Amino acid sequence: MTRATGQAPKISLRDVGKQFTVRPSKDQPEGTTLTALEGITLDVAAGEFITLVGPSGSGKTTLLDLLAGLTRPDTGQVLVDGKEVTGPGRDRAVVFQQYALFPWRTAAANVAFGLEGPGSDGRRLSRKERTDKARHYLELVGLSGFEDRYPHELSGGMKQRVAIARSLAYEPDVLLMDEPFAALDAQTREQLQEELLRIWRSTGKTIIFITHGIDEAVYLGQRVAVLSSRPGRLKQIVDIDLGERSGDGDVRSDAVFVEHRHQVWSLLHDEVRKAQEAGHAKIRPDGSAPDEAPQLSKGQLSKGRAA
Amino acid sequence: MTAPTLTKDAAAPAAPAARAADAGRTAQPAGARHLPSLVRSSARRAGRGIWASGAILLFLLLWELGPTYLASPSTRVFLPPLHEVLRALGSLLAKGQLQNHLAASLTRSASGFGIAVVSAVALGLLVAWYRSLDRFLNPLLEVFRNTAALALLPVFTLLLGIGETSKISIVAYAAFFPVLLNTIAGVRTVDPLLIRAARSLGLSNFRLFQKVILPSAVPTIFTGIRMAGTSSILVLIAAEMVGAKAGLGYLIVNSQMSFLIPDMYAGILTVSLLGLLVNYLLVAVERHFSRWRTAVGSQSN
Ligand SMILES: Nc1ncnc2c1ncn2[C@@H]1O[C@H](COP(=O)(O)OP(=O)(O)O)[C@@H](O)[C@H]1O
Ligand SMILES: [Mg+2]
Repeated sequence: MTRATGQAPKISLRDVGKQFTVRPSKDQPEGTTLTALEGITLDVAAGEFITLVGPSGSGKTTLLDLLAGLTRPDTGQVLVDGKEVTGPGRDRAVVFQQYALFPWRTAAANVAFGLEGPGSDGRRLSRKERTDKARHYLELVGLSGFEDRYPHELSGGMKQRVAIARSLAYEPDVLLMDEPFAALDAQTREQLQEELLRIWRSTGKTIIFITHGIDEAVYLGQRVAVLSSRPGRLKQIVDIDLGERSGDGDVRSDAVFVEHRHQVWSLLHDEVRKAQEAGHAKIRPDGSAPDEAPQLSKGQLSKGRAA
Repeated sequence: MTAPTLTKDAAAPAAPAARAADAGRTAQPAGARHLPSLVRSSARRAGRGIWASGAILLFLLLWELGPTYLASPSTRVFLPPLHEVLRALGSLLAKGQLQNHLAASLTRSASGFGIAVVSAVALGLLVAWYRSLDRFLNPLLEVFRNTAALALLPVFTLLLGIGETSKISIVAYAAFFPVLLNTIAGVRTVDPLLIRAARSLGLSNFRLFQKVILPSAVPTIFTGIRMAGTSSILVLIAAEMVGAKAGLGYLIVNSQMSFLIPDMYAGILTVSLLGLLVNYLLVAVERHFSRWRTAVGSQSN
């Protein structure tokens, strides 16, 4: 496996922190600052698949926004290829949980969206080149023949496939995925996990994958980074080694898998309990109710929360 | 639409050979077995068509027979039966008068409507994009919007005379606000997730506007345009009734004053047909631009 030994990391987080100002409310007329992330230091090697789990509200999306360049950190640095991230760039692509497809564009036109401006080399693609590329990437995600469908004519799984194709189409090095499969049914999710691994192997992208599913994190990641409850700190990084996963066997019932799963589960369970004890769960600024306290069961953390 | 002809041809073996062969070729996939169901479904469709136009037909029938058999002779003068109105319409057409009035009205409403759409969309986009401009203009726009256009008719006439300018202006005024408000609403309600997605792809403000905000607002803008189309005709007719030398509104009022009652009704009938036609066209355009929207529960709404 490629690991950051010797060669420079693709992505480097150095003591990254992020705060938000909370708008004044009845209880706190002053308005307060909320620390979403604190002291995150993490290196990700080129071509690595790392998954990120954490209780709801632990700052996973915030971290992804920082990596995407949609927001800037308050402390520390976010580096990609050794250069500080100052804004969105074509070397990184984001896949959102809610697909974020443009509903007035067909599947192919959605995939071509990122190809319409000048490319990273300043060259503009011709219409035909764009169409060919869109077709190619739709094929890669298994959607040949669906080029002319509008998003509302596609199922959730197909929409997410289009979104993945759109992200891949302008050929970024890094894929940032924020709970991309959380809204899908179990079967579709497993299918897409499978395909994502296949795409990752064949394209060699660096993938940062956020999830609240422990199974998903362990199944996909070469490493699983566990975030603590708010303020989000990096609690531990668990190395996952499931050996060669080429066969049709059920990896998820392997002893090694179960062991890893349990390890991540315990780490998370502590965090969720701590969050509750500290009263964080009572008034969660993300709007979830106290009685929706994260439940750990079947490898799923708090199902009710939307990203 | 071709179904009734098809069944007739297939059911009548005596039809000329060429036509039968032709029909046979097209009807082949359906097969003779499906004939009864085909007949039934087209009968059902025809039945539904009759029912849908039933109220209209009844109304026209009442208009034709009511004045003759129900109304007193004095009322009959003010409410002539339908065939007299149609005859008046025919003679107005034959003399070319109706065309002239129609052309005058159409020119005015199209110009006013066009000016309104262009300026309201432009201003709407600016107001929606620049929050401070919105805060500055909004109170004033709110006052204007809630001032009925027709209440301002005397002002327009005083300032711009009774010529074309004042009529085009009042049409533009009336059509302006529905387009403006819908444009603002359309831009405001763009899914923030789509903006995030576009930003993550590194789009500049201008590209974001052109490629995400504008297309996403287009259906809402067209709803405003359709509303504006209806109100521009309404206001124009009223304006033409007050002071004009041509136009459908003038035709109606002038016929009334000259006691040409059937002509007056012919004018009214033309206005309602024109209104229907304009609305139909604008609905078609609106639908064309909203076809990516799902009827209910679309994630973009
Ligand atoms: N724009 C914002 N303004 C204020 N608070 C925010 C904002 N974005 C996120 N937060 C807060 O930061 C914390 C982390 O949020 P988020 O990154 O969305 O968590 P996660 O994705 O792990 O569930 C939450 O408590 C959330 O309420
Ligand atoms: Mg999130």
